[in-house]
Amino acid sequence: MNKLFQYVPGNSLIHRLNPVTKIALTVVICAAAFITDHLLFLVCLLAIDLLIGLIAGVAGRTWSIFRGLVKIAAFLFLLQVLLTRAGNPIFWIITDHGLLTAGKVVLRLIVVCMPLTLVLAVTRISDLTNAMVQVLHVPYPYAFTVSTAIRFIPQFLEEMSGIMEAQTARGVAFDQAKGFKKFSMILPLCAPLLISSVRRTDQMAVAAEARGFHLRTRASAYKQYGFSTGDLLTAVFCILLLAAAILL
Amino acid sequence: MIRFEDVSFAYPDQGSSIRDLSFELERGEFAAVIGANGAGKSTTVRLADGLLRPSSGRVLIDGEDTRNSQVSARARKVGFLFQNPDRQICKNTVREEILFGLRTVRSEEGESALQARAERILAEFSFTGDEEPFALSRGQRQRVALASIFAAEPEVLILDEPTTGLDYRECCHIMDQIRRMNEERQVTVMMVCHDMEVVLDYASKALVMAGGRLLAAGPVREVFRNRELMEKASVLPPQVISLGLRLGDGYETADTPEAMAEAVLAHRKKEGASDE
Repeated sequence: MNKLFQYVPGNSLIHRLNPVTKIALTVVICAAAFITDHLLFLVCLLAIDLLIGLIAGVAGRTWSIFRGLVKIAAFLFLLQVLLTRAGNPIFWIITDHGLLTAGKVVLRLIVVCMPLTLVLAVTRISDLTNAMVQVLHVPYPYAFTVSTAIRFIPQFLEEMSGIMEAQTARGVAFDQAKGFKKFSMILPLCAPLLISSVRRTDQMAVAAEARGFHLRTRASAYKQYGFSTGDLLTAVFCILLLAAAILL
Repeated sequence: MIRFEDVSFAYPDQGSSIRDLSFELERGEFAAVIGANGAGKSTTVRLADGLLRPSSGRVLIDGEDTRNSQVSARARKVGFLFQNPDRQICKNTVREEILFGLRTVRSEEGESALQARAERILAEFSFTGDEEPFALSRGQRQRVALASIFAAEPEVLILDEPTTGLDYRECCHIMDQIRRMNEERQVTVMMVCHDMEVVLDYASKALVMAGGRLLAAGPVREVFRNRELMEKASVLPPQVISLGLRLGDGYETADTPEAMAEAVLAHRKKEGASDE
């Protein structure tokens, strides 16, 4: 699970894109998924997500993200189908409208979540931060906050897994419980997780201050983030995708 | 009490971490697992508690294969103190924290018996019980975690670098309590420790590891006096042992500063007598 948010080194076409282009592509895919109401277009967007993963050479990571999302989506699909009453009944309380709505909801969920995780697999977080500051003129403290929040996700997951291991060793039956029971056992552990997170954040803030955090400006970054033909083609693709989402 | 039989283990996507590890700890033994970083010490103690399952071979706790039962079901018999106490502590007061541990492993004793047991442990560890664990110092939090494990009265105590980051006084405080438990209740202790002075002071047996293999197992003093072994394991023996070995001439047996001082005085006396 922790590896889902880790950068995968590579030199693919996607890796070489400007981090801002990658952010733009992610935003456009997410926007297109919310704008369109066409089931087939959502399927196409999903295919684009998978294709991006394939071109970036992170097929294994893409597949594991997809698998994880399908599990969540299956639960969501079931809820949606059982709770939607509108439309013509097909079987028991299941209606055609319910099936269609549920299909769109879960597809939208998968389509939106995949590029967000894929962009982290093909871009170093430091590059994301620097490009946001340099190209998008985002103030460094804000860019740093965003990148730190992303960086903290795997750390929190690791911390949670460490807490669960420690609690199992003292007799809490995490290794025997499943489903909702396990979830209810996890809830009380939010206190140690919260405390360790606050401590870690505090330590990080002190370390950042000690290294001259407030002295940093746009000019501080030594790496330049230029735009190539690949970025231009991606920009054209983004415009076409957005147009298609609006028109369809 | 703890028996490793040809245990090997590899983390996913990584090479072999532990290879053909075999050793046995008797009831009441106090063993320290020593070695350089990456030697496989923490993996070994995690295997001992069943938090990790061997790729091959088996680990037996009191004759029972760790693969045949869940870690949580073994918690009454095996206590595990982690390096970071914050992962173990999850309640708002020290009393609640100790009771939480007791309720998970000794629920059949009834609430009043558990309360009495908790009060006894609180007194033993000099806590009032109303302290907020997360407001205490790191050393105090480590003691809270230890008290919670002590309360369950395990037969085996596994410690993964329990004194890291503690000052000398806190370190002695914790280690003295562990020693008392080891001596009074014959609890088997298996401890990973980077502080060789602590190992010399408290452990009776040393398991020396390097590259995922067990290089040697034996009495602590014998192990520390084996220069070749220490070099191979990239371990610096305690200063008093190093000094004794360097001086030679009868000083090698001095394993405490007091013994070293006595040896020096005896040597001087001897020299004085020969001068006369």
